[in-house]
Amino acid sequence: MEKSLDFEFIHKNKCKRAVLLFHGMTGSPYEMKKMGKALFDADFDVFCYCLPGHGTSPINIKTVKWQDWYNDSVLHYKELTQKYDEVYLGGLCLGAVLAIAIAEEYRDVRGIVSLSTTLFLDGWTIPWYNFFMPIGVHTILRYYYSFPEREPYGLKNEVLRKKIAALQKRNTEALDNYPMSCIYELLKFSKLTRKNISKVTAPILLMHAKEDDLTSTKSAEFVYNNISSKIKNYIKLKNSYHLIVMDYERDYVFEKSIEFFNSLSDFAPEKTKQFSQQERAGV
Amino acid sequence: MMIEFLQTEKIMQALQHFSLILLIVSNFLLIIGFGVGKIVLHKSEDKIKFFARFTVMICILLITYFLSILLFTIGSIFSANAANSLIFPIFLFLPFVIGKFATYEKVHFYTNIQLVTLIISFIIALLIL
Repeated sequence: MEKSLDFEFIHKNKCKRAVLLFHGMTGSPYEMKKMGKALFDADFDVFCYCLPGHGTSPINIKTVKWQDWYNDSVLHYKELTQKYDEVYLGGLCLGAVLAIAIAEEYRDVRGIVSLSTTLFLDGWTIPWYNFFMPIGVHTILRYYYSFPEREPYGLKNEVLRKKIAALQKRNTEALDNYPMSCIYELLKFSKLTRKNISKVTAPILLMHAKEDDLTSTKSAEFVYNNISSKIKNYIKLKNSYHLIVMDYERDYVFEKSIEFFNSLSDFAPEKTKQFSQQERAGV
Repeated sequence: MMIEFLQTEKIMQALQHFSLILLIVSNFLLIIGFGVGKIVLHKSEDKIKFFARFTVMICILLITYFLSILLFTIGSIFSANAANSLIFPIFLFLPFVIGKFATYEKVHFYTNIQLVTLIISFIIALLIL
């Protein structure tokens, strides 16, 4: 069951560039699939794997540590660097934090697309009793409590909301709750990532919804203001919530991601590359 | 001067008494809360909303418990029973120490340890009363 949600989109002819995508906390590769297809159509080989504890029984997610997520992601990244000339990273939510954390340690990351980066849990759907969180996460209560997932499920698109709500009931593609123990691991991992953020030198494109329900734009702004990357772009989305790869502006997100990766690539189609270079130069 | 000192001591004794009763009540409810939590945790794990509310209640009780310990310690320092101020502060840190080592696989074991510490502090509070 666990590996059935993974996907690998590989071209028949040998491709020299790959994108490794990471899904979000309590999500699965399912949420990254459309983005994966868009990148594949733009001549990238694309890989996305289920993070440890995800895509199986909801109990499994309570047993994982952030080190499991990080080590698993690094392993996939290293595998791809053996096979491809250029390896790019992309991630949503926790996946974005993973991509940034990898770039902190590995300077050969060619570029990062960081979507709805979750370094702080301060979105507008976080419950009023959030101020109890320090007591909850640092005591045994973290194994008792789960944030119940509720409307709007990270989506501004109401049609998609119903579909996602149905998927969450199955508790495989996405969970219908955020276990506090999982949040505890995310917060620990985010803290460490924030501490080392200045080590990131890889080019980065940040995209974050103004009305993100789980994490405010503070996270993306923190990354943008503190990384050492010379090439850094930040796009604020006006018509989406947290799941920007599925919401109203998903096509725009895909388009900008492809454009960004192409602008960094030595193997990009010439027209795209020229366009991107002109755009970067402000022409 | 003497009257002022006596008045302060009276206030502190009242604070100590009030905080001790608050400590006993919150401690008792926490023992019941963790006991019930331990029994129903794996049996009704699908009842997310129930557990969310239940945990928030325990959080409120824990905060009350911590506050009563702090008040009791402050009251003890300024009253004749200064020795009492040394007893309870350890119970402020124990839930966090237990939380640090706890894992999901051993959640029942660590809940038992939490319960034992709560029962000890409850007995001590009753003896002081």
